[in-house]
Order: sequence, then structure tokens, then C-alpha cells
Amino acid sequence: MTVLKEVVAELIGMFAGEKRLTIAALTVVTISGCLVDFTGLDPLVGGTVLLFGCLILLIESVCRSARAGAS
Amino acid sequence: MTWSIAAPAVTAAFLASLVEVVEAFTIVLAVATLRGWRPAALGTAGGLAVLAGFVLLLGPLLNRIPLHSLQLAIGILLLLFGMGWLRKASLRAAGIIPLHDEDAIFAAEAAQLGQHRGRQQSNLDWVAGITALKAVLLEGLEVVFIVIAVGAWRGLLMPASLGALAACALVLAAGAIIHRPLSRVPENTLKFGVGVMLSAFGVFWTGEGLGVAWPGQDLALLLFAALFLAAGLVGATLARRICVEIAQ
Repeated sequence: MTVLKEVVAELIGMFAGEKRLTIAALTVVTISGCLVDFTGLDPLVGGTVLLFGCLILLIESVCRSARAGAS
Repeated sequence: MTWSIAAPAVTAAFLASLVEVVEAFTIVLAVATLRGWRPAALGTAGGLAVLAGFVLLLGPLLNRIPLHSLQLAIGILLLLFGMGWLRKASLRAAGIIPLHDEDAIFAAEAAQLGQHRGRQQSNLDWVAGITALKAVLLEGLEVVFIVIAVGAWRGLLMPASLGALAACALVLAAGAIIHRPLSRVPENTLKFGVGVMLSAFGVFWTGEGLGVAWPGQDLALLLFAALFLAAGLVGATLARRICVEIAQ
């Protein structure tokens, strides 16, 4: 039973170890999907938002953790 | 299958497996050193059997999912997983969280197994076997996910699996020769590289799943990888600067 619990915890941790980053990344994916599906814009606009959104999120998440870890 | 997508997929599977197998090997070695090779080998075999079960179960299921839905689902999972690895690798590179220390993990695991000395011999072997099984299973889950995710379509499952198996063989050969935890493997550099590649694959496949036609097709992956590498390095530099500023 303990092994099963640890496997489940490992699986959750693999994809949602940092909750804020996970929620923010899913939000960026949703926004990109809406841009592709519900606006008349070129789908590449949605792709660009996805790419640069994720890059910005990554840097922000590292900086936020650094501030929290150092203070 | 094109080399622009096969090479990153096989490399990602190889490097990710290298990191995870090194971590699992440290614990299995601790078990073998304290309790002998029998419980270590049985636990390892049990862990590998469960992992093989996952692959056999998931493999045929993936073929039933429509391509775009599969691309989107695996793309998002890869993105979350890859960015998580890259974030941690950047924080380790900046010195915010400590580097993985295989010697320390070996000592901690050996100490934990030593606490059970009062128990009967058969109980001790059982505890040791379960410890080895857990190590192989938990570290192997990430390898299985990466192999399936990067090899799920375009006929890359076999090359990605071979990449992962090559990493296992390399670690086992090195471990058999030096018979110590493989503490000199540059784990954080490898994790940084794998995080970059998985994040790039994640954006690429999530975009394709959403209906984005990336310019340059597969070659766009290389640009994405370069951008994630730059973002990871910028993040590590900024994090280091933040620490210095707060310390002053």
C-alpha cells in the first residue's frame, strides 16, 4: 500500500510538483488554444503565445523560488 | 522518421534514463552492499516487471487515441514535466537547492536499512527487496513516461527505448567496474539538457495538437530547444543575482 501511495505521489509530482507553474502553464495553453480556435488570427499567433508564454513563466518561476529560498 | 526529430528524441531518452538509472543504482547498490545481491536483484527485477507492465498496458491504448488529441495530451504533459525539470536544474545551477549527492543518498539509504538490524533475516531481506523495488519503480516511471512521450508516434518508440536501454547498460557496466555510487556523473547538467529537450518537445507537440503549423516543421524543435536553454540559463543567472542581493 505504501509503495502504491508513493507511486501515485511520484506521478503527481512529475507533472504538478510546482503548483503555481503548473496552473500558469495550463493557463497559457488554454489561452493559446482559444487564440487558435476562437479568433480569426493566424494559428501561429497562438503558437507564439504558447512558446514565449512558457519561456517567461519558466524564468519567473525560477526567480520567485530564488526569492523565497533566499529570504 | 527524420533525424531532426529522431536525434533529440533518442538523446532525451538516453540522457533522462542515464540520470534516473544512476539514482536507482545508488539505492540498489546500498541494498546489495548491506543485504547481498539476492534481495537487490529480486527487487530490481520486480520493479522492472511492473514498469514493463505499464508499457504493455499503455502502448496499445495510445494507438486508439486520435493523433491530435494524443499530441495535445502528451505535449502538455511533456511541457509540465520538462519545465519542472528545467526549473529545478536552474535552481540547482544557481545554488538555491542543493545538487543531488549520490554518496550522501547511499549513506542515508544504508543507515535506514541498518535501522532494521533487530529484525529476523527473512524480514530484513523483504525490507531490502522492497527498497530496491521502490527505487527502480519510482525512478523508472519517469523513464517510461519520457520514452512513451517522445516515441509515441512517428515510429520513434523503438529508437527511444533503445536509447533508454543503452543508458541502463552504460550505468550497469560502470557500476560493475567501480562498485560505488556513480557520484561523478554531472547529473544537473544532464537534467538541464533533458529539461530543455522535453520542454521543446512539449511546446512543439502542444502547438501541433492545437493546430499550429510550425514554420520549418521539425527543425522548429531546435529553435525551441535553444530558446529554452537560454531561458534556463537566464533564470539561473537572475536567481543567483537575487540571492546575492538578498544576502547583502
